[in-house]
Amino acid sequence: MTAEREKPSPEASSLVARMRAGELVALARTLTELERLSPSAPKLIADMAPFLGHAQVVGFTGPPGTGKSTLVNAYVRQLRSDGKTVGVIAVDPSSPVSGGALLGDRVRMNEHTGDDGVFIRSLASRGHVGGLTPAAVRMIDVFDAAGKDVVILETVGAGQSEIDVAEVADIRIVLSAPGLGDDIQAMKSGILEIADILVVNKADLPGAEKTCSQLRSALSLSASKSAIGVLTTVATTGEGVSELVDQVGTVASACTDSPRDRRRKRARRLLAWAAADLIERRIRDRADGEIDALCDKILSGSATPDQAAGKLLKGA
Amino acid sequence: MSTAEQPERHALGFPPRVLVTKIGFDGHDRGSRIVASFLRDAGMEVIYTPPWQEISQVVRLALEEDVDVIGVSSLSTDHLLMPKLMTALAEAGLGHIQVVVGGIIPDEDEAALLEIGVAKVFHPGATREEIVGDTAKFAAEARRHRDQETVS
Amino acid sequence: MTEQAVQLPLPGFETAHAEWRGNYAAQLGEQANPENRSGIAVKPLYTAQDWDPDNYMDDLGFPGQLPMTRGIYPSMHRGRTWTQRQLIGQGTPEDYNARLKTIIAHGATAGSLIPCNSVYRGYDADEVDPLLLGTCGAVVNTVDDMEACYRDIPIGEFSTALNDPSPFTLLALLLAVAKRRQVPWSRISGTSNQSDYISHFVCNHMFFRLALPGARRVLVDHIVFANKYLPGWNPLSVVGQHMQQGGATPAEAMGLTLSTAIQYANDCVARGLDPDEFLPSFTFFFDISISFFEEIAKFRAGRRIWQRIVRERFGAQNPKAWRFKFHGQTSGVDLTREQPLNNIARVTAQAVAGIFGGLQSLHTDAYDEVLSVPTEAAARIAISTQEILKQEAGLTDVIDPLGGSYYMESLTNEMEDKILDVIARIDDAGGMYQAVEAGLVQKMIGESALAFQNKVDAGEQTIVGVNKHRVSEESELPRVPLRPPPAQAIEAQVERLKRYKADRDQTAAQRANDDLARAADSQDENVFESIVDAACAGVTHGEICTRLRDVYGFGDPLIVP
Repeated sequence: MTAEREKPSPEASSLVARMRAGELVALARTLTELERLSPSAPKLIADMAPFLGHAQVVGFTGPPGTGKSTLVNAYVRQLRSDGKTVGVIAVDPSSPVSGGALLGDRVRMNEHTGDDGVFIRSLASRGHVGGLTPAAVRMIDVFDAAGKDVVILETVGAGQSEIDVAEVADIRIVLSAPGLGDDIQAMKSGILEIADILVVNKADLPGAEKTCSQLRSALSLSASKSAIGVLTTVATTGEGVSELVDQVGTVASACTDSPRDRRRKRARRLLAWAAADLIERRIRDRADGEIDALCDKILSGSATPDQAAGKLLKGA
Repeated sequence: MSTAEQPERHALGFPPRVLVTKIGFDGHDRGSRIVASFLRDAGMEVIYTPPWQEISQVVRLALEEDVDVIGVSSLSTDHLLMPKLMTALAEAGLGHIQVVVGGIIPDEDEAALLEIGVAKVFHPGATREEIVGDTAKFAAEARRHRDQETVS
Repeated sequence: MTEQAVQLPLPGFETAHAEWRGNYAAQLGEQANPENRSGIAVKPLYTAQDWDPDNYMDDLGFPGQLPMTRGIYPSMHRGRTWTQRQLIGQGTPEDYNARLKTIIAHGATAGSLIPCNSVYRGYDADEVDPLLLGTCGAVVNTVDDMEACYRDIPIGEFSTALNDPSPFTLLALLLAVAKRRQVPWSRISGTSNQSDYISHFVCNHMFFRLALPGARRVLVDHIVFANKYLPGWNPLSVVGQHMQQGGATPAEAMGLTLSTAIQYANDCVARGLDPDEFLPSFTFFFDISISFFEEIAKFRAGRRIWQRIVRERFGAQNPKAWRFKFHGQTSGVDLTREQPLNNIARVTAQAVAGIFGGLQSLHTDAYDEVLSVPTEAAARIAISTQEILKQEAGLTDVIDPLGGSYYMESLTNEMEDKILDVIARIDDAGGMYQAVEAGLVQKMIGESALAFQNKVDAGEQTIVGVNKHRVSEESELPRVPLRPPPAQAIEAQVERLKRYKADRDQTAAQRANDDLARAADSQDENVFESIVDAACAGVTHGEICTRLRDVYGFGDPLIVP
């Protein structure tokens, strides 16, 4: 299976300029080129570089059934009435069997389709089990360079991705909802550590109070997190959404990271992914005498898995 | 290409992106839902919309999602709106997108649709293989045009 | 070939059964039993081992008596054959009126009005692209339009089903016409065919106009109004057709529909209504697929389950409340474009299943319904089909003729189990309203739809002319060109609308419109009553829908991809 060779497009240099001038097709094209890391991508990245670091990146994550897309929709509505422009990256899982995807999140955000101040792009997770892909990270930069005030990242929220969102979004919102049967979901190890704001959506349903108090008591166990708010929203009516926007603002202004720091964090994540993937493929695919020897060491107890990994990395 | 990306399964390098939608008034979407599933199971990325999309919404969606193919499901007479959609797409600089129509289309109207640039009309009874195969073919064509066309 | 002499006495049951099984296997080898659409295995033969005739009183009883399996009335079709109610609607009100008169001349005893898609979406003719007007239904926006639809038809004697979803503006217009003609409302009979907003939310999204909570309010107000002022009107038709056409299996369709009825009954009880009073006005509307025996069993099981539900969950003591009244429509989903005349055979099989299933009212599809709005010739055949089954085949001479059949009783029991499973799942989800809000029902139906399609693709489900017995030459009827109404007729219709709006008493109309908004916003006022008042004051269909959407929100059905 050969990838189609795409020639670098001759207008690559003007593409960023046109995107910044508000041309929607240029923005769409740039997103795609960066998503696919086409031959034009390095030039585009270079052209975008001077314009990066202004957008506020907000991540929404949480298990299915919490009403994420509906909440993002209401959040965008609030941002628009506050005069902000928005880019949304909605990540949906790819089928592990076929590699295809049904990208249905943006269907819930149809009210913004006519608004030039909102640009929504759906992205398939393409094999990343957690849902957050390197493509998404590159696309954040595109929206940033295009001049969007806020970039929203909406991810699948199943396991790993809560952690992934942490390192790429500036403000991390974790969603839960009452009656999902497993309120402990949101409290999986690590998730509370990285959340900046916890939101209980569908707060009009019975059990909302219980969910809130469970979250609060889990937070109180961690000294560093006891100050985090647990907000309630009813995304379908918009209740609680302006408070959420305010809270995001508060958290943002309390953060001391420079734009460069934040972008470094994202790059760090990309590096970690690439490294992990490289190593995993090597271990999985190569018939390797060195790896076999390390495995034997682990089995015999003469090396711990950690030590063996360290050895492997040194030689990688 | 980044090594962190999972190897793509599709000959295009990246899966075809298809918008499956309905314009006009009819709301029967069982057929379009099933087609969307076929395409997903064949490895494509499908943006699926509810019925009653305005033409301007369809154009905007196609633009934002940078799709290769638009599949319009039409029962009753909604296909009468297709000329307006084709014009709107061309005006938005999206002429490279291949458009197909599926559903209940009388013979006379099919000829007219092909004339205004619709790539193919699918009738009830079209098989999964046909739909998936043709869509993949049209997606490849769309990509070729897209890369050749200067974005206006 | 010499025949063996018959041995007397005849061998016993077990021996004979074993012998038959052996002979069967010798002829056909080991075969897995096929499954019907609801997933029930179908054996080649049924005996008293599958259903014991001693269970007659528990399982069947008598027509019009508990457990209702054999029919809801003592005389069923012998006493009163089902209403022949054909759907019609095309173009202008005058077109509808003409078509109605033709159908009546050919034996139809009741009418069913299909409005234009624009009307379904809640718009007036002057708000939409003229290209889309009147191509699949009648454009009815005003009292004058409704008057034209029923010119020369005595609405006090002719039963009308209005395919008119919430907020039931067409009924309001019809009542306004009655007022004009001084026909008492108590003489108006018919059904609000598309009153089941939950089924629209789930499957037939086209009919969904108001956001869920608003639709919920208007429905109960509608039922209250009808119970008070319209003794001949069925305000509620709980619809299983949409879900089955959307892909639900027959058992699922019945289970989901019964769950919806339970939800509506609960909503009525919450409003303080008495089950013995409102339950008799509940009717049902089902798809009849070509899975012949399964459909008959589905309806028999439905009757049995419903009487139990209303007595056990709602304490209904009025025998009228125990009756599972339903209208059946032959399923268009089973019809094909290829070799369309074959559809006549299909519709006939479906119709027989509906008749044997004990329906109260039947619509038979025309064979070309797959292609477009049916032609007159095809519509005539559809009506004649019903006449032939009644008069020539004598299908109405015996009540529940398959009752007591080992297969039919065994299958009815199995369908009942499947249906009860579905109801239990919905109960667990907190009832139908919550289940559809959460997308559970949509998911169930989507999965069944895909499973069926896969079976067709794999050749496990034969469709003659499509995946089997394909004919290479074009023996199909050409796809008929659309005959939308002539552009001038549509223009004239739009003009008439504009003139109507200009000529009416603007103050009265505006006041009624504002009253409507106020009632909708209130806690206690009857919104449907305000809709009727508004219609009588000259407010149009589109204006009513727009105003209610302002208050309640536009209904966006939840799409579960």
